[in-house]
Amino acid sequence: MEVLALVLRNLLARPVRSLLTLLGVLIATTSMVLFLSFGEGLRRSLAQELSRVGPAIQIVPEGMEGLGFSGYPEITPKEYGLAQEAGRELGVRAIIPTLFLARGGFDPQTSFFFQGLPEGVAPDLLYPGVRVQAGSLLPSERGAIVGAKVAKRSQLSLGGPLRLSPRVELRVEGILEESGGLADNLIFVPLKPLQEVLGTENYTALLVALNPGQKAEEVARALEASLPGLKAQTTGDVMRFAERALRISDLVRFGISLVALVVGGLLVANTVMMSVYERIREFGVMRALGARRGFIFRLVVLEALLLALLGGALGLALGSAVSYAINLYTLDQVGLALSAVTPRLSLFALLVALGLGLSAGLLPAYHASRIPVVEALGRV
Amino acid sequence: MKNGDQATPPQLPPRIGANRESTMANLRAENLSKRYRQGEREVVALEGFTFSFPQGSTAVVGPSGSGKTTLLNLLAGFDLPTEGGVYLGELALHQLSEDQRAEVRLRNMGFVFQQWNLIPTLTAWENVAFPLLLAGLPPKTRRERALALLEAVGLLERAHHLPSRLSGGEQQRVALARALALDPPILFADEPTGNLDASSREQVASLLFEAGQARTLILVTHDLELASQADRILHLRGGRLVRVATPAPG
Repeated sequence: MEVLALVLRNLLARPVRSLLTLLGVLIATTSMVLFLSFGEGLRRSLAQELSRVGPAIQIVPEGMEGLGFSGYPEITPKEYGLAQEAGRELGVRAIIPTLFLARGGFDPQTSFFFQGLPEGVAPDLLYPGVRVQAGSLLPSERGAIVGAKVAKRSQLSLGGPLRLSPRVELRVEGILEESGGLADNLIFVPLKPLQEVLGTENYTALLVALNPGQKAEEVARALEASLPGLKAQTTGDVMRFAERALRISDLVRFGISLVALVVGGLLVANTVMMSVYERIREFGVMRALGARRGFIFRLVVLEALLLALLGGALGLALGSAVSYAINLYTLDQVGLALSAVTPRLSLFALLVALGLGLSAGLLPAYHASRIPVVEALGRV
Repeated sequence: MKNGDQATPPQLPPRIGANRESTMANLRAENLSKRYRQGEREVVALEGFTFSFPQGSTAVVGPSGSGKTTLLNLLAGFDLPTEGGVYLGELALHQLSEDQRAEVRLRNMGFVFQQWNLIPTLTAWENVAFPLLLAGLPPKTRRERALALLEAVGLLERAHHLPSRLSGGEQQRVALARALALDPPILFADEPTGNLDASSREQVASLLFEAGQARTLILVTHDLELASQADRILHLRGGRLVRVATPAPG
């Protein structure tokens, strides 16, 4: 019969109440783990994707950050010409203009992401390692090369039509092998039809492929200096921007899950406080028999900690299971594992649960340890 | 009859040595007073109580409101006097902190209350072992000592029962075993037979006085028949000690 056994005995003496409190903490921790796991998943996926992208530098208009799937193309052919000139002087391997277009809605089956490629450029220049499973890897003037997942999801087959607008229709000329990356969900088309659809001659970004030995940071700064109004981002810049954006979104998601956490904390505090009120006489007896205030304090805090830690651990386990299920779905639908319960997230969740228990237990514990013995024993 | 409610009370075992440095400590009250404020009115619960409690049993009797409970609260260090002091040998109990008084109680005092006050989530032997846990004794010693004491009060077979499964008399005997766990030199009993039937009362009283023989037993009671078994009787009235009597032998 050690102190921990005393605590357990008390929790087990009121099983329904303890269980309900445990459930409260479990749900709070699960929701926090899930909310934060999306940030971790995106971080991991982004790092993986960027490591697979061939060109080391992306030139985009100033003010645009990250990968430009949204927004109107703003880089003019003149600016492209200037970039080519600057690139030649710096000795880069190639400057590839590209254009992104997203079509569709929230349903993955009706959503399409197009990337425009200049004539003679195949997807494997941008995404090294992608291979074709059927047809050609290089699209003709009116052809499209389709990523493996989008082909499967939208039932696109070789030779089949692909309508970009009422006036622009392409034919599927190649289907890529599944690579586990972003290319699985893209449709590569020539630049011209995309520009036709958007009614512009502009580009979304210029991708710069370097020769061996060239340093991305140095080339990017030199390109920026000779291209006013444009910005040259390296993979590191994109990662840094993404990290900033993810941190902000982490905070927002943590803020949302904080509501659940506060509710969980209040549940624990309520349970422990009720338990303290019910056991005032018991604490009085303990004090009368010679227990110090610290003993009573520890007893009550341990009760809250145990509830919170147990709920936290179970919440973490449930959160991990749900995260796994979400990934099964998103991997199938968009080829990305959107959620990740990383070791640092697990540790954070357990520490938050522990902090929750501690803060929920402190006040009842202080109260329990300060009740005068005569009052606790009803001997006034 | 419930299990363990034998007619003849078993004998207490020889004392098992604990910390007995203060065995011979003399408990005394000097000019002890306690006054409460009740709104505008001052209530005198105890006034100018002076007495040195010798070894053996001392019963404190008096009508309700005479100050019996207040006296016990002060002597045990549950509460602090408004004036005067409580001394255990040279130790001024009233000048100690709350935790220091708890430590003095743990090492020197045992308590038997009218309501038994067992910890409901602990079994009989765990209740008896509780003061031993507070004193930091190892688990094996605690268990052995608790079971020996339960055997002494005739409840070994009920050792693994929760208090809710014990009768009033059995609970009070567990409480007595708990009070003796650390072999304290001073034993307080507050109306120990107040909630018991006649048979249990006799049994508990017998055990109590037996335990009190080699200790300082302070017994607060309304029950004059029980008080008459004590070595001396203190009569309180209106918060004052009005008489010290020695019951006639027999």
